[in-house]
Amino acid sequence: MKTKRIIKGIGWIFLVAGLIFLALVGYSYYFSNYKFIPQGEKFTERVAYIDPETSLLSEGFETCTEYLFDYYNGGDDRTTYIKGKNGLRSFILDNFENRNYTDSGYLNIRFVVNCKGEAGRYIIHENDLNLEAYTFSEDLKNQLLDLTIQLKKWKPLVLRDEATDSYMYLSYRIENGEITQIIP
Amino acid sequence: MEKSLKSYLSLFAVILLFSSCQNTEKKIVEASKYGFHFYQGTPRHMNAFAYSVELDSTIATNWRELSVPYLKRGIPQEWKPYFDKAVEQDAKVWQGWRGYLYLWFYRDYQKAIDDFDATDILTPDFIDAPQGHSVDFWRGIAYLGLKDYTNSIAYFDKHITKETDETGEDWVELEAFLFRGIAHYENGNNDAALQDFNKMLFYGKNKSADAKYHKALIFKQNNQMEEAKRLVQEATIDFDAGFFNSRPYVETLRQIYKEDLLLLKNKLDEN
Repeated sequence: MKTKRIIKGIGWIFLVAGLIFLALVGYSYYFSNYKFIPQGEKFTERVAYIDPETSLLSEGFETCTEYLFDYYNGGDDRTTYIKGKNGLRSFILDNFENRNYTDSGYLNIRFVVNCKGEAGRYIIHENDLNLEAYTFSEDLKNQLLDLTIQLKKWKPLVLRDEATDSYMYLSYRIENGEITQIIP
Repeated sequence: MEKSLKSYLSLFAVILLFSSCQNTEKKIVEASKYGFHFYQGTPRHMNAFAYSVELDSTIATNWRELSVPYLKRGIPQEWKPYFDKAVEQDAKVWQGWRGYLYLWFYRDYQKAIDDFDATDILTPDFIDAPQGHSVDFWRGIAYLGLKDYTNSIAYFDKHITKETDETGEDWVELEAFLFRGIAHYENGNNDAALQDFNKMLFYGKNKSADAKYHKALIFKQNNQMEEAKRLVQEATIDFDAGFFNSRPYVETLRQIYKEDLLLLKNKLDEN
């Protein structure tokens, strides 16, 4: 009789503990997936995300890890072109030809630099000087993309003494067909 | 009886309304706290702030938080509408900030100046200081970017004079002397430039690759080669030790690199 009561008591404890556990799991799931989620457009990927399926020069390009950092995460060890900003600027400006372009705006090229310092997965954003959507002349866009792709060797991002993968971008500020700034 | 019932119902409606407003405010605060737990630009971060602006679109800081990941990753067409919303909701706080972002992330010096100038009207009795420096300091840099040395120097003079009068010259940020010195140098006034570079070194414990590099350029122009060589050597030591002007996300204005020092050294050695 006494044993029966003890077993019953233990049973109730397990039942209550199980219900509390399920409630916690349920609440965590709700918290992660439904609370603080907008009714309208929802974000499903990181802002920096570049889809390997749709970006340029993705075939054969591999990252070292699943997670890609951002170029600036390393502070002084951030992702940089192997010949530095001066080297990058010299290469682009020495090789860019203004073929009677009249375009003005920002031609931004985002890409990935892997832990080996290789670049790939290029995508392009085109804006006018007011940062509204804009379409550059095809020739200018292809020329700058081609020159950017020729920047083959990069110093990868280093975090905790280890080279790693990162998202990178170059922004060409163009005024009347001339490159006036290369950011960052 | 009827009157009492109406009063009780009205009171109940007021309490209900008040508690639902409080709930919305509480939700927004919770959402922000939740969002800040996650790395900028991740879905949980962005969704939390998108949720907040759905509940209340008048809170400028939430619009600004949505814009930041796009700013840092070279996606301006997404940055602009979010940040413009922040300015629309609270121009006094965020228009000066937008000027700062136009200056550094887009190198649009005129748009930066326009936003800094707007702060003079928005807060006429106060000099705003987005990202910790006065709008006069930032205008000095923006005008230097435009190579408008007259205005650049004028704004640095205004900023430095004010800071000196209020707290002492030793409180002026070293970059103010550096950039004003560069403006003087590019404008052909080497004596004034040297004064500023020397001030930077005085207050910076004699450690600045930038100041010494620019001084070396001036001494080279004056044909004082040995002094120029000594300065380049010291500048290189300072550079290797990390004493050079730079910014966290983007190149700074007139940034110098190791190869600039090597190039100058080689030119001096040829003489």
